[in-house]
Amino acid sequence: MPERLTREAQRLRPALVLVLAMVLPVAARAASVATAPEAEGAGADGVPLPVEIHAFASQGYLRTFGNDYLVAHSTLGSFEFDDVAVNVTDDLTDRLRVGIQLFANALGEAPGAFAVGVDWFYLDYHFRDWLGLRVGRTKVPFGLYNEFNDIDSARVPVLLPQSVYPLLNREILLAQTGAELYGYIRLHHAGALDYRLYGGTLYITPPSPPVPPPFGAVTDFQVPYVAGARLLWETPLDGLRFGGSVQVLRYDETVALTPPGAPATTVAVGLPFVLWLASAEYVGHHLVLAAEYGRFHATELSRVNGGAEQTLPTPTNERYYVSAAYHLTTWLTPGVYYSSYSPDYPKANALETLEGEFSTTTATDRFQNNLAVTLRFDVNPYWLVKLEGHYLVGTADLSSAINGGRALATLTRNWGAFFIRTTAFF
Amino acid sequence: MNLRRAIAMLLVLAVPALAARGDTSPPFEVIVSPATPEQVVSREFLAEVFLKKVTRWDDGTAARPVDREPGSVLRQRFSDEVLERPVDAVQSYWQQLIFSGRGLPPPELTSDDDVVSYVVAHPGAVGYVRDGTQLRGAHLVRVR
Repeated sequence: MPERLTREAQRLRPALVLVLAMVLPVAARAASVATAPEAEGAGADGVPLPVEIHAFASQGYLRTFGNDYLVAHSTLGSFEFDDVAVNVTDDLTDRLRVGIQLFANALGEAPGAFAVGVDWFYLDYHFRDWLGLRVGRTKVPFGLYNEFNDIDSARVPVLLPQSVYPLLNREILLAQTGAELYGYIRLHHAGALDYRLYGGTLYITPPSPPVPPPFGAVTDFQVPYVAGARLLWETPLDGLRFGGSVQVLRYDETVALTPPGAPATTVAVGLPFVLWLASAEYVGHHLVLAAEYGRFHATELSRVNGGAEQTLPTPTNERYYVSAAYHLTTWLTPGVYYSSYSPDYPKANALETLEGEFSTTTATDRFQNNLAVTLRFDVNPYWLVKLEGHYLVGTADLSSAINGGRALATLTRNWGAFFIRTTAFF
Repeated sequence: MNLRRAIAMLLVLAVPALAARGDTSPPFEVIVSPATPEQVVSREFLAEVFLKKVTRWDDGTAARPVDREPGSVLRQRFSDEVLERPVDAVQSYWQQLIFSGRGLPPPELTSDDDVVSYVVAHPGAVGYVRDGTQLRGAHLVRVR
């Protein structure tokens, strides 16, 4: 079993017990419902409530021009771009729901090395429309579309704007294990508020030590907390909503360094993060417009051999996008977006990154701007195909590791990417 | 009959037909279960019920929306007029909720009779059927 899966399974053991405790009664009831449709009712009024099973499978192909992106050797074309998921959800009563989703994907993994994991599981009690409680492992409500980053059928583009919804940071942003309060508050003539409050922890793969083994090793890694909130205001103008999201989390890591010929050193690093995002969306009949802007910031706190804590300044990065999509027909939806990522605000802010496209003096690795155009074809209600082209300027969000170890500033400044993706779902 | 009168008569007859050509889908009626007291609902509230943002009627009864199948012309009209978005946009909305674990769509039935049967059998249920469908105990709700 791959080390990562063993470690993941060990961490999730208590949660797996909880999952089994929830799944077994559901499975039993599913069997009884399948054989006796008029059997006992589970709703308050005695009406049987359904167990539902849903799944999707998605296969993509990407080809980049100039730089490798998302997967190694993408300039040669790659099929390492797959997702599959299956979920079971049951309304045990008209207020109580349980659910679980298993998920596997391949994005830059070695061929055949899908890592099957529990994407989410929860027990959800809906006290009122304005107050509900959810416990378990749940998708993080950050911005308009973070919860749908893995769901190809739920959006128009193949890739959500990576400046705000980075696939490669999936572990940080996608799901947290803990509890969440949520609610929908109707304000009548003032619209409605949709709120989410959550807190818990993240199960993520520890980062590599700064010095590779055997001279460096991560001896302890934990995420003591993650917490956040999202508030969406559905305005009185139908389809128009505004929102704000914030998340705070912290990594704590201990690294043991044993360089040859030098004394052993222990470095304890704490990394508190603050992420925030402002959102706006208009959904009107056949048109969807969206825009989001945010900043992610981390502070590095370190102690060497238990000494005094030092604070190291780290840059704030700036991220935004604007997008539009139009349901031209029942089977064709074109979409377009422009996104921007600046790793070092305010030195390279949005205006400077825009100027960077037209200025050869701005360092290539200080920004990354992306214009994407998508065509979504809905072949039928269960199957879709997407074509997407990207034109990018800047290399700030690329990975040196898959680009031959080269520094980002030396990579191709103007480059491109093309995606084809097909998804079946029910 | 002279030519001018003939042309005028043709126009009088043709204009309504031309106007109607833009909307050939049948009108619908919104129905609720016999025990549901509501007689009038706002379009916004009805949309919130069908998108499951609101799950209760004013008296606290669970609201149970029931839909038609995605290819139904009646559903297209209901989706355009009440939800104010096309059916495929609504389906994307449900895909978001299903695969993020946030919710499940209403059941989808394939005939007006099935919708009436569901609404009559499920307290708090709400659905839509073609004008003139036999309601068998369900009652109409006016949408303002």
